[in-house]
Amino acid sequence: MKGSGRLALTMLAALGLGACGSTSAANTSQPFKAAWVYVGPTTDHGWTQAHDDGRKVVEQQLGSAVQTTYKENVPEGPQVATVVEGLIADGNKIIFGTSFGFQDAMYQEAIKHPDVKFEQATGTKTATNMGEYFGAAEDADYLTGMALGAASKKGKIGFVAPFAIPEVLREINAITLGAQVTHPGATVQVVWTNTWFDLAKEKQAAQSLLSLGVDAIGQGQDSPATGDAAKAVGVKWTGYDSDQSSYAPDIWLTGTVYHWGGYYTDRVKAAMNGSWKSDNYYGSISDGLIDLAPFGTSVPQSVRDQITAKKDAIKSGSFYEFTGPLKDQTGAVHVPAGTKLTVSDLYAMDWFVQGVIGNPKGS
Amino acid sequence: MVTAGRIPAVTMRGITKRFPGVVANDQVDFEALQGEVHALLGENGAGKSTLSNILTGLYRPDEGEVVIQGKPVTFRSPRDAIEAGVGMVHQHFRLAASFTVAENLVLGHRDAADRGLLLEPKVVEGRIADLSRRYRMPVNPRARIWQLSVGEQQRVEILKALYRGARILILDEPTSLLTPQEADDLFQTLRLMSAEQRTVIFISHKLEEVMAISNRVTVLRRGKVVGTVMTKETNQRELARMMVGRDVVFTQKKEGPAKAERTVVLELRGICANGDLGTPALREVNLSVHGGEIVGVAGVAGNGQRELAEVIAGMRRRTSGSMAVSGKPTRGGNPLEAIRRGIAYVPEDRLGTGVAPTLSVAENLVLKSYRRPPISTGGLLHHRRIRTNAEEVMTRFNISARGPQSPTRLLSGGNIQKVVLARELSGRPRVLVAASPTSGLDVAATDAVRALLLQAADQGDGVLLISEDLDEILALADRIAVLYGGRITGIVERQKAAVEELGLMMAGSTGAT
Amino acid sequence: MIRIERRLTESRWLLLVVPIGSLIGAVVLSGIILFFTGHDPVDTWQRLLDRGFFAPGALSASLVQATPLLFTGLAAAAAFRMQTWNIGAEGQLYLGAVGASGIGIALSHQPAGVIIPAMVVAGIITGAAWAAIPGVLRAYTRTNEIITSLMLNYVAGLLMNYLIFDSHSYWRDLSTFEARVFPLGKYLSDAGNWPNLPITGIVIPLGFGLGIAAAAVLYVLYRSTTFGFEARVIGDSRAAAHYAGIRTRRKIVAVMALSGAFAGLGGASEIGDFRHVLDPRGLQQAGFGYAGIVVAALARLNPFAVVVVAVLLGGLSNAGFALQGATFPAGLVGTLQGLILFCALAGELLVHYRIRVRRPAGTAPIAPQPQASSAAGAGPA
Repeated sequence: MKGSGRLALTMLAALGLGACGSTSAANTSQPFKAAWVYVGPTTDHGWTQAHDDGRKVVEQQLGSAVQTTYKENVPEGPQVATVVEGLIADGNKIIFGTSFGFQDAMYQEAIKHPDVKFEQATGTKTATNMGEYFGAAEDADYLTGMALGAASKKGKIGFVAPFAIPEVLREINAITLGAQVTHPGATVQVVWTNTWFDLAKEKQAAQSLLSLGVDAIGQGQDSPATGDAAKAVGVKWTGYDSDQSSYAPDIWLTGTVYHWGGYYTDRVKAAMNGSWKSDNYYGSISDGLIDLAPFGTSVPQSVRDQITAKKDAIKSGSFYEFTGPLKDQTGAVHVPAGTKLTVSDLYAMDWFVQGVIGNPKGS
Repeated sequence: MVTAGRIPAVTMRGITKRFPGVVANDQVDFEALQGEVHALLGENGAGKSTLSNILTGLYRPDEGEVVIQGKPVTFRSPRDAIEAGVGMVHQHFRLAASFTVAENLVLGHRDAADRGLLLEPKVVEGRIADLSRRYRMPVNPRARIWQLSVGEQQRVEILKALYRGARILILDEPTSLLTPQEADDLFQTLRLMSAEQRTVIFISHKLEEVMAISNRVTVLRRGKVVGTVMTKETNQRELARMMVGRDVVFTQKKEGPAKAERTVVLELRGICANGDLGTPALREVNLSVHGGEIVGVAGVAGNGQRELAEVIAGMRRRTSGSMAVSGKPTRGGNPLEAIRRGIAYVPEDRLGTGVAPTLSVAENLVLKSYRRPPISTGGLLHHRRIRTNAEEVMTRFNISARGPQSPTRLLSGGNIQKVVLARELSGRPRVLVAASPTSGLDVAATDAVRALLLQAADQGDGVLLISEDLDEILALADRIAVLYGGRITGIVERQKAAVEELGLMMAGSTGAT
Repeated sequence: MIRIERRLTESRWLLLVVPIGSLIGAVVLSGIILFFTGHDPVDTWQRLLDRGFFAPGALSASLVQATPLLFTGLAAAAAFRMQTWNIGAEGQLYLGAVGASGIGIALSHQPAGVIIPAMVVAGIITGAAWAAIPGVLRAYTRTNEIITSLMLNYVAGLLMNYLIFDSHSYWRDLSTFEARVFPLGKYLSDAGNWPNLPITGIVIPLGFGLGIAAAAVLYVLYRSTTFGFEARVIGDSRAAAHYAGIRTRRKIVAVMALSGAFAGLGGASEIGDFRHVLDPRGLQQAGFGYAGIVVAALARLNPFAVVVVAVLLGGLSNAGFALQGATFPAGLVGTLQGLILFCALAGELLVHYRIRVRRPAGTAPIAPQPQASSAAGAGPA
C-alpha cells in the first residue's frame, strides 16, 4: 500500500506541472555520458542492432565510468538536430550517428558544440571534433561469396541490394569474386530495393529473385527478411550486419558482420582521457571490426576450411580480393593485372565485375 | 367494444415530464383498456412521443405513476418494459438491415441469450410462421431486411414485439410510410390483435385513420390531455378542434382568374426521361401550366412523379422533348438554369434535398440566393444580411425555431417545409413545382403549406402540385393531370372531375381530356 | 448500465472543461503506466513538457516539427469539411517538395526575392495538381477518393525515389563526393534557404508564418465566401447542393486541389525552411501527411485549432525523443504519446456525446427529446 500512496502523490504532483523549468543537477562525480543516434529500431536484427550491441560492449567494458543512451527510429531530416541538441543538454560528451542521412545535422551540431565529440558512421565530412568511421566489409563479403558459390548447384546466385552506391557495389563485386572461386562461372543477379530497412520490400525482392531460379541468395539489407523468403523454398542464404542464423538455421550459411564494440570502447575511452582526435577510420577483418558470422550447419567442413584459410590470408595481408586483373560486365579488363584498388577507388566504385547481372546505376 | 367489466391494461396518472425549456407532458392521465385500439391524437410536439417513450421505459417521468395490468411499475430501461409486456413499433424501424427476419426477432432477446446465443432457426421460424398466420402478416422469415418493402419491415417490427410477448403494442405514426393498401392490411392486423385482447395504442395526427381504426381517442395538445372520447360518439371536425384548439377551416381553392387572361408560364412538349435505373420513366409528357393556375398531378407513387418534378427543376436530364418557361425554351438538365429562369421547387425529400440539414435556418434560406447581391458581393458573403433576411422571412412565414442560427434538422417537419417554401417563394418564381408538400405534416402545418401554395397562385405564379393525396389535389387544383406509367393519361378541369374517373385514370385507363 | 448518446447541443463550459479533464486523464493514466514500469511519473511529465515546450529552444524546435503538420492538417481540414476524404496529403507534400526543389535549383542564381516566391508557387501548383487527380476521378467517374489519393501517396514516394536513386534526373546531384557515396539531391543555393522570423527568442520558420496565413485563408474561405458556402452545402448533403444549382463536380475538384495546395506548400516549406534538398528517405520516414489527418481530427477541422494542435503534436514528437533512451524504450514513449492523443479524442467524444449511467434510484439525468424544441412551432401560418 505504501507504493500506491506514492503513486497517488506523484500523480497529484504531476498535475501541478507546467511552469517548472528544467533542473540540471550539477554533480561533479557523474559518469561520462555517451550517446548513439539510430535511424532504425534496435531490434532490427541488422544494422542498428549491431551498433547497439557495440554500445552494450562499451557499457560492459567501462562499467560505471560511463553512462550510455540511445535514440532509435530517428527520422532523417531537421529533427536530427533537435535530438542531438537534447542529448547535449542531457550532458552527453560523445555522440555517434549511424546513418549517412544524419551527417548534415551532425556536422552542424559539431560546429555549434566544439566541446562535444561527434562520430559519424559511413560519413564523408569531418571536423576537429567530428570523426568518421566505417569498415571494409568487402573482405568478409568475399568470404561470404565463397560460401554462396559452394552452396549453389547451378551457379545462379541472387542478391537483394539496397542502393546503387559504391558501398553496395563493392560488396556485390566482392561477393561475386568470392563465389567464382568456389563455383567457377557463377553469376550474381541483383535486385535493388532503394531502402536499407523495409521488411516487406526486402522480402518481395528476395521472392522475385527466387522465382527466377536462383539457388543461393545473399543480401545487403539491414533485416533478415531475405532469409524469411529463402526459408520458404529451402534456398541457402547469407545475411548481413549481425549473426542472423537464428532466423533460419537450416538454410543459414554465414554473413558479413560488424563488431562495433571494440571501436566504440576505444573512442569513448579516448574521449574520456582527452586523447580523442578526429579520424577517418576504416576498420577491417584484421582489427576485428569486420568478421564472418559463424557457419551454418549445412556448410561442409571442406568449405569451412577453404574459407577460413582465405580469411587468414586476408588478415595477414597476403591476399586482397580487389587485385587485378579484374574484368567488368562486358568482359573488358577494368583493373589491369597486378594493380590493387585503393580505398578511394573503393569509395568511388561505379562498375560491376564480370558475372554480376544487374545495372550498377540502379534499377 | 368497451364494456364496464373490462380491466385497464395501462393506467398513467399525473405524468409530468420536463425538458429544458419545455414541459413535454403536464399532469397527463391516460388509460387504455385490454382489447381496445386506443388512438393517441395530437399535433407534432403535443407530447405523444414523450408519453409513449415513458410507457416503453425510454424516459422516466418526473412525476406520476404507471400501472400495467394492475401493477405499479418503474421501468429503468426498454428491457423492463418489454418484460412487462409493452412493445413499441417506432416510426423509424430499428432493424439490422443485413440480418434475416428471424435473426432480427431474436437479436438482443433475453430468451435467446439464456440459451447461449445459439439460434434455433427451426423453432424461431416456426413461431414466426405461427404469428404471421394468426395476424395475417405474411413475411418470409429467411428474407434479409434490406430485401423487404417498408410495409414488410413494419410487419417485422410488429412481429418482433409480439414474439417478445407484447400484450400492449404501441405504434408511432404507423401509416406514415405505408401505401393505402398496406395501411388497410395493417388495420386488419390491429383488429385481429384487439380481438385477442391485446391492447393497441395508436399514435397519429391523421383524423381519418383515427376514425377508421380506434375504439377510443385521447387527444393531447401542448403536453396536456384535452380529453378522451369514444370514437363512435365523435367526428373529424370535433377531433380537429380538440387537437388544434380552434376550428380548422380546411383550405379550399377560390376561383382563379379566367383562363383567357392567363399566359402559359410552363410548357412541356413530348418530354421523355429515364429513371435512376436508366429505364424510361417519362414518356412523351405534354403539359402546360398558366400563371395563377394550380395544376395537380395525381397518380400512384412511382409512376414518374419524381422524375417529372426533377426534369422541370433541371435536376434530371430529359432524353427528348422540349420545355419552355414563359415562352423561352430551356436547355434542361441544369438546376442553376432552372433557378435563374424562375422555377421554384419544393422537393418531396425535404430534409435531405430541400434543405441542407446541419446548416442553419438562415443559411438554408439563402440556399438559392447566395450568389447575388445583397447576400453576397464578389464572392464574399454578408453575414449580417443573411441574418436579417432570416429574421424577416421567419417572421413573415411564421417559422418557429430557436433562432436563425439553429441547425435546420432540429426543426419540426412543418417548419422545415415552411423554410423550403419561404425560400422558394421569396425568389419571386414564375413556376412553383411542389412534390408531396404536405406529406407527414400535421393538420396546422398542412393548412399553412396549402395556404402558401394558394398565395403563390394568387400572385400569378403557375403551380404544379404533385401529390398522392387526391383530396389535396381536389381541394387545391384548377386542373388535374393523371400520371400513369410515365404518361399523362388524362387532364381534367376540377369542376368536371369525378373521383371514380380519376381513379380509373390512375389505374391506367385513358380518360377524356 | 452505461449508454452513450449524442448531445443535441454542445454546452460552452464543456468546451473548456473537457480539454482540462482530458489532460488530467492523460496524466493519471500515464502516471499509472509509468509507475508500474519503474519510471518516476513526475520526472517524466516534467521532462516531456520541458523538452517539448519550455526549455530554451524547445518551442523553436517544436515549430520545426509543427510546420509540416500545420500544412497537412490544413490540407485534411480543407477536404474533410466538405466530406471529401483526401488521404493523399502525404503524396501531395512530396510533390510540393519535388516542385519547389526543382524550381529552387533552376533559379539558384537568382536572389531570394525571386527564388522563395517561386518555390511557394511551385509547391502550391504541384501539390494542387497531384490532388486534382483523385478529385477528377471522384467527380467524374465516382471513384472512391480515399483509395485513389492513398495509392497516389505510394506513386509520389516512388517518383521521389526515382528522381534521386534511380535516375540521373535534374534533381540529383552527380558531381559532389558525398553524392557519390550515397545518392543525394542538389542543394538549394543559400538564397533559396527560407529565412526565419525571430520573435522574442523563438525562431519561427517562414513556413510556419505562411501556415498561419494559410489557416486564416481557409477560415475566411469557409466562413465568408460563396465558395466555402457551396462546399459546406455539398459536405452536408450532395442532393441539396445539386438542388441548389451548385456544380458539385467542379467543386470537388476545386476543394481537392485546395487541399493539395496546402500539402504542397508544406512540401515547399520542408525544402525551403529545413532540408534544402529533395530528400526522399527523410520525407517518407517522417509521414507528415498521415499525421496531418490526426491533427485535423483533433482540431475538429477548425483551421486555427489546427495551428495549436500542430504545435502540440510537434512538441510531443520532440519530447518523445527526449524521453527515449537506454532505460526508456521507444515503445513506452509511443504508448505515452498514444495515451495523450487517446485522452484528447475521448474528451472530444464527451463534448459531442454524453455517457448515461443508470442508477437504481430514479435520479439519472435524461436527454431532452428532439421534438421538444418544436413544441411551440406548430401554430397556424
